[in-house]
Amino acid sequence: MNNHGKLRKLSVLLLAVVMILTLAACGGNNANSGGNANTDAATEDNSGNTGGSATALEVKIWDNTQLAGLREIAAEWTAVSGIPVNIQVVTWDDYWTLLEAGASGGQMPDVFWMHSNTAQMYMEANKLLDLTDYINNSDVIDLANYYDGITTLYSLDGKQFAVPKDHDTIALLYNKALFDAAGVEYPTDDWTWDDYYNAGKAITDAGAGSYYGVAMNTTNDQDGWFNIIYSYGGYVISEDHKTSGWDNPNTKEAMEFVGKLCSDVFAPQNVVSENGTDTMFNNGLAAMITQGSWMIKSFYDDDDAFNEDGSQNYAWVMLPYHDANGDGVAQPEERCSIYNGLGWAAAADTKQPDAAWSLIEWFGSYDMQVKQAQLGVTMAGYMGISEEFSDAFEGMNIDAFINIENQGTLVFRPYSKYTTRWSDQYQKELVNAWIDPSQMDSILDSLAASMNETLARE
Amino acid sequence: MKKKGMTKAQKNEAAWGLFFVAPTMIGLIVLNFYPIAYTVYQSFMKTGDFGMGNIFVGLSNYQQVLAGSEFWGALLNTFKYALIEVPFSVCIALVLAVFLNRKIAFRGGYRTIFFLPMVAAPAAVAMVWKFLYNQQFGLLNNVFHTSTEWISDPNIAWISIGVIGVWSIVGYNMILFLSGLQEIPHDYYEAADIDGATGIKQFFNITIPLLSPTIFFIVQTRIIGALQVFDLVYMVMDNTNRALKSVQSVVYIFYQHAFTYNDRGYGAAIVVCMLAIIMVITFLLQKSEKKWVFYN
Repeated sequence: MNNHGKLRKLSVLLLAVVMILTLAACGGNNANSGGNANTDAATEDNSGNTGGSATALEVKIWDNTQLAGLREIAAEWTAVSGIPVNIQVVTWDDYWTLLEAGASGGQMPDVFWMHSNTAQMYMEANKLLDLTDYINNSDVIDLANYYDGITTLYSLDGKQFAVPKDHDTIALLYNKALFDAAGVEYPTDDWTWDDYYNAGKAITDAGAGSYYGVAMNTTNDQDGWFNIIYSYGGYVISEDHKTSGWDNPNTKEAMEFVGKLCSDVFAPQNVVSENGTDTMFNNGLAAMITQGSWMIKSFYDDDDAFNEDGSQNYAWVMLPYHDANGDGVAQPEERCSIYNGLGWAAAADTKQPDAAWSLIEWFGSYDMQVKQAQLGVTMAGYMGISEEFSDAFEGMNIDAFINIENQGTLVFRPYSKYTTRWSDQYQKELVNAWIDPSQMDSILDSLAASMNETLARE
Repeated sequence: MKKKGMTKAQKNEAAWGLFFVAPTMIGLIVLNFYPIAYTVYQSFMKTGDFGMGNIFVGLSNYQQVLAGSEFWGALLNTFKYALIEVPFSVCIALVLAVFLNRKIAFRGGYRTIFFLPMVAAPAAVAMVWKFLYNQQFGLLNNVFHTSTEWISDPNIAWISIGVIGVWSIVGYNMILFLSGLQEIPHDYYEAADIDGATGIKQFFNITIPLLSPTIFFIVQTRIIGALQVFDLVYMVMDNTNRALKSVQSVVYIFYQHAFTYNDRGYGAAIVVCMLAIIMVITFLLQKSEKKWVFYN
């Protein structure tokens, strides 16, 4: 019996150790567990391929709505090159876990998407195939044709690691039925942020708790209040990505205005946090939200997007502007849209670097960028073909996303090497300012300090 | 002195023995022991990306963890959660088990119903409760005509999360108690009946003492489990929930640092601290075992 007791003690202690530490181990262990997932799909049928010897290229993306269009584009490449392409979709969170595991364990997909959150980390660790020479020797790709912020994002020390795939802009989406119910006039492309405030307040007052003028959370940064900051002349991170802009006077002025919106216009923070802004809009609880071009399709497909007679119930206008000089006209610098762009990258250790480059070149080529826009996959990374995209959604006018490129200023999404470290900070801390806007100023000061500290450690 | 060599038959037997334990051993080493050692190693490092370029920083991660308020806040939240989950799930399960150990109609049906939450995926459970708790549209507020912020009010949210924890685990504890109850000989109860003991007296003087090994086992494993709560917090609490700070558990902040912020070393230091705390608690529990657990 004594022996038994000791054994039991030992086993429970062991259990405790094992239970807690295996949790932690997911990190170190990823290389073993996650990496295997990529290898099993390499058996694409080679039927159309006379050579028969070519191995399929593995491609990973995270957005399911783009899959069909990209498959179509990749199929054309296969017809030319004879190399099969196997595109797989993984959800956003899993994508990064998987890619990181692959990078640590040497089993990355051949070709994949890069994002501003993580690009620098992958480039610095030499995990991405250096495309510089390929681009220099290419007749198809000239980086000058792509949005400047995106090409810069994917370059380091004069080397280029990805070719821009797309770009996105932000616009204001409104629900006509709610504007009618509240007796407020529809938004126009000439709105200032003050007009937005006034209309939003009128709707929130009319709704008296059953619906609101605007739903916007602290997480709606790129697609929301960042745009206000930049149109006020403020900034979030300095151009060298080393210092915070939270204590910049213009940023503070913009955030004071956001505080005003929080008290009078926005739906209560806990309602937004528990339900989500898109859900609230789709259920008629918010008359306006600001959203990015990557979301058009999901609103286009919503049940309430169109009235029974086929006219639009959901409609887009350009983001409002901040009339800083008071001349009543929007100057380009007074109207800002944050933009971001994905890049096509290849693994540094891919077994088929030439084929991987050839596929990236194909995706980045003018013709295929046009095709990507026409199919409604996304707006192009190639400049000057946004028009093609606007025709992709029949019955819904999405010119707002394109017009802002000429009539406003595109600002690249703020990022650094470890973006999430400080973005999570402000998304959480600003919750208190959303609830009690009088704290806005002091919260911004403390955010500036903690963000600078975080950046210094990068 | 030379050791006596094994006979051929003994060697053969030993080889087969090793062969049969090999799968478990390899599994434990690869999936548990190696990661444990690696986590401890990481906790002393400023970890580089992709497992490369780790720099030894000594106890610096631990200093940061223990000096900041975040870890201690999360630790307090974790204990608050355990304080709800463990006592309630054990007591309720014990009472249910005693009732369902009797011959009553639909006994199997009841047992199944109480055990069902255990079968459901934790993520699905959390999602359903999240809808129930929703302030504007949730069932709870609509039935009771209240507008309580069940998961957004810092004073209430930790209790709401605890309730989900209790609900999820009660059935599992009940099944363990049932198996314990069935090992208690029926003679004791018959003798007690003859002596005129009431049901409640029988419960406290026969059932509880004879069930104490099972109770001890459940309390101990539940404390360990509750101190590692993660999925409920992660699924129910949005990142921008204002009550998050008063609910986030130690494993939750570990996840944030290790995976969201990609700071593995700091995350590793958090879990190693947690491990030390759990070890101490387990040790104290084991010490207390002699005082109240009866093995016959």
